[in-house]
Amino acid sequence: MNENPLNDGLRLEPTPGPTTFVIFGASGDLTKRKLLPAIYRLSKRGRLPAQFAVIGISRSEIDDDAFRTQFRESLAEFAGPDSWDDVAKSLASRMYYVSAETDDPEVYRQLKARLEQINGAEGVLFYLAIPPSVYGVVIEHLGTSGLSRPGERGWRRVIVEKPFGTDLASARALNQLAHQHFDEEQVYRIDHYLGKETVQNLLVFRFGNGMFEPVWNRRYIDHVQITAAETVGVEHRASYYEGAGALRDMVQNHLMQVLSLVAMEPPIAFTAESVRDRKMDALLAVQPLVEDKQNGGRPVLSNVVRAQYRAGWVNGSEVPGYLSEKGVSKQSKTETYVAGRVQLDNWRWAGVPFYLRTGKRLPKRTTEISIQFRRPPLEIFRRASQTSVAPDLLIVNVQPDEGISLRFEAKLPGTRMQIAPVMMNFRYGTTFGGEVPEAYETLLLDAMLGDTTLFARHDFVEASWALITPVIERWSGLGDDVPTYEAGEWGPPEADELVGRDGRRWRTL
Amino acid sequence: MTTATAIEAREVPFSEIATAMVDVCPRAGAMRALVATVVAVGPPDRLDLATDTLQILGDAGTVRSIVISEGDEAAPSARVAGNTVALKGLKPQYVNNAVAALRLSSLPTLVWWRGGRPETLDELADLADRIVLDEDEPETSWRRAVKLFEATAFSDLRWARLTQWRALMAHFFDIPEVRSAATQFSRLRIRGGDHVSAELFAAWLTSSISFGAGFHVEIERGDEGAPIQSIHLLDQDQELMLRTGAGRTCIETAVSVRGHRSVSRIVALADRTPVDALTEELMIRARDLAFERTIQALVAD
Repeated sequence: MNENPLNDGLRLEPTPGPTTFVIFGASGDLTKRKLLPAIYRLSKRGRLPAQFAVIGISRSEIDDDAFRTQFRESLAEFAGPDSWDDVAKSLASRMYYVSAETDDPEVYRQLKARLEQINGAEGVLFYLAIPPSVYGVVIEHLGTSGLSRPGERGWRRVIVEKPFGTDLASARALNQLAHQHFDEEQVYRIDHYLGKETVQNLLVFRFGNGMFEPVWNRRYIDHVQITAAETVGVEHRASYYEGAGALRDMVQNHLMQVLSLVAMEPPIAFTAESVRDRKMDALLAVQPLVEDKQNGGRPVLSNVVRAQYRAGWVNGSEVPGYLSEKGVSKQSKTETYVAGRVQLDNWRWAGVPFYLRTGKRLPKRTTEISIQFRRPPLEIFRRASQTSVAPDLLIVNVQPDEGISLRFEAKLPGTRMQIAPVMMNFRYGTTFGGEVPEAYETLLLDAMLGDTTLFARHDFVEASWALITPVIERWSGLGDDVPTYEAGEWGPPEADELVGRDGRRWRTL
Repeated sequence: MTTATAIEAREVPFSEIATAMVDVCPRAGAMRALVATVVAVGPPDRLDLATDTLQILGDAGTVRSIVISEGDEAAPSARVAGNTVALKGLKPQYVNNAVAALRLSSLPTLVWWRGGRPETLDELADLADRIVLDEDEPETSWRRAVKLFEATAFSDLRWARLTQWRALMAHFFDIPEVRSAATQFSRLRIRGGDHVSAELFAAWLTSSISFGAGFHVEIERGDEGAPIQSIHLLDQDQELMLRTGAGRTCIETAVSVRGHRSVSRIVALADRTPVDALTEELMIRARDLAFERTIQALVAD
């Protein structure tokens, strides 16, 4: 019996075969906040295989029991106070720990022995929840130790957290190194935005319905706005964020992924390669963000705005400015806000601007895609109605309240002709019942099942860096001060001007 | 899961149901997307649970709930409360007409069959997108359903409650050594408070896997409160085990087969109220071929 006949017609989605989940960076923040709670929730919902184990690896000198205690604490903080139940205890009994420096070859020999001991070395999913500076070291050791290659049965996969490189050259180098030891199908470059239901639903909305795709083009759409706003500041991530900034942290990965899903052509099938090919096409159509024109001998950067938050008031509290945050240099020029105007050179989108913005310490935590349609060609109600006709809007809410809203015009009841906008809302959280899985649950399960659809391919990552890197280089060559915005406001005036130049405005959020 | 809330109710003639639904629908709150109509049909004494369950589903705002008890009335009054409509004592031959008039247009209709005149099941099969059977003695309806599989999708509430048990058994067979050992198992032992659920599980397993000659099934009566308490698939020295843990909030699983080291774990036993089971049924839009195969095996015995 080669296939499992009991999976035929099973109502639950498929469950991976025997798997060991190996976390590099097991005592880190991501592991505690996201990975361990996600594994627990998957286990609770019966989505993990009967044969499943976790091996944590990090520098902390702790043993299996201490790692299990860390698991318990992680659940208490991030999965709810009642989460230390029989399921968690059972899972904990299958958690192991290896204390090690990731550049020590002995670690990988130990790991190999432990994998043999635990599950006969069948499916192994490595997760690099470690600083990007050591990705290369771990990938190299996984390769040279033979851990990247499965035995007669089973599989080996590696999930790499963002950022995948810090610019085009480093991303290329990392891809080359990864491909020396892993096939592309084994490498899962994670972007947790792609694990969100609404982002996936964008594909269904566009390609599972006949009525939206015909208007999804330059003829009917005036422009697109993609917003990823956070209320939090840099928090405990200053050491990482100082070297990254909003452009690397958000635009290169999350916003480019979302943009490509909005702009892509229909794939020929819902397969990983077909979807990723079409996303890649969309990204390749994006015009360079740094223009060919020169201004005083320097290339013009009129389509991108950066800024840094200063002290202000967010979520009912006074908050310090970025330069006063712990771990941030007083002279820092790191941007905490980016707005950009992106144009795609293809038949579908020629002349339709995509405005992107992301920032920290903004008034509201929200991520959304807003599609603004063109106004009717003739305003026949202009004389009859005191109110003007607002353009129709389709809003895809990515977080926190996942769903889709449609704003259109309606007549106000009464004898007079008055027009007002109304909003129809579809919300994932309430419409279908049941729980909406966390993005990390979806993505970890997909990686265990070998589905790469929601992960970034090497060429997409490089194409995205190819767009972003000239902006970084241009900024680093400037001695100018970084514009600022008050914490709790929607970015700097320069961002409004960026959109205003085209006679448009940012959507009110 | 949402709980029932106090919503204004109104008794109206059938012809005024649509108007009443607009009037008593809660005005506060954002409009929600509707996904389906859920209709519970059965004799009056079997609809109390259905009424409470559908009221909860209706209050969630995304389904229209209709409860129809069979009786002698040709023109019973209707009770409208929010998204829920209750018709008491309708003549069975008009049940399909009532459903045709009250269901949401262009959205799926799920019928929760709590029993009643057998011909009504045939008539509803032409209208419904899915029929979920739910009777104490289901064999008659199962036999009828087999002839209606081409007309609509069928399921059974007991079947929905078995999903997790089936999934956990399936997980064992993801292990290659377990698949290799499949033909060596000689005995399936199921203990539980509901003989019908045990029969369903056994029929599913034996119709999915070709066990060797002499394979036999033992069903032991267990506690009334737990439809299934334990499932053992056995050979002399090999065993796949599923059993409820203390407090029946979890399921302990263990696998012990030759050539593979023993593995055990605990997973949560998901709450399976009627609301949960119907919510699961609403998420499934295709024919349940595993259920059809299982019922065909059962009625053929």
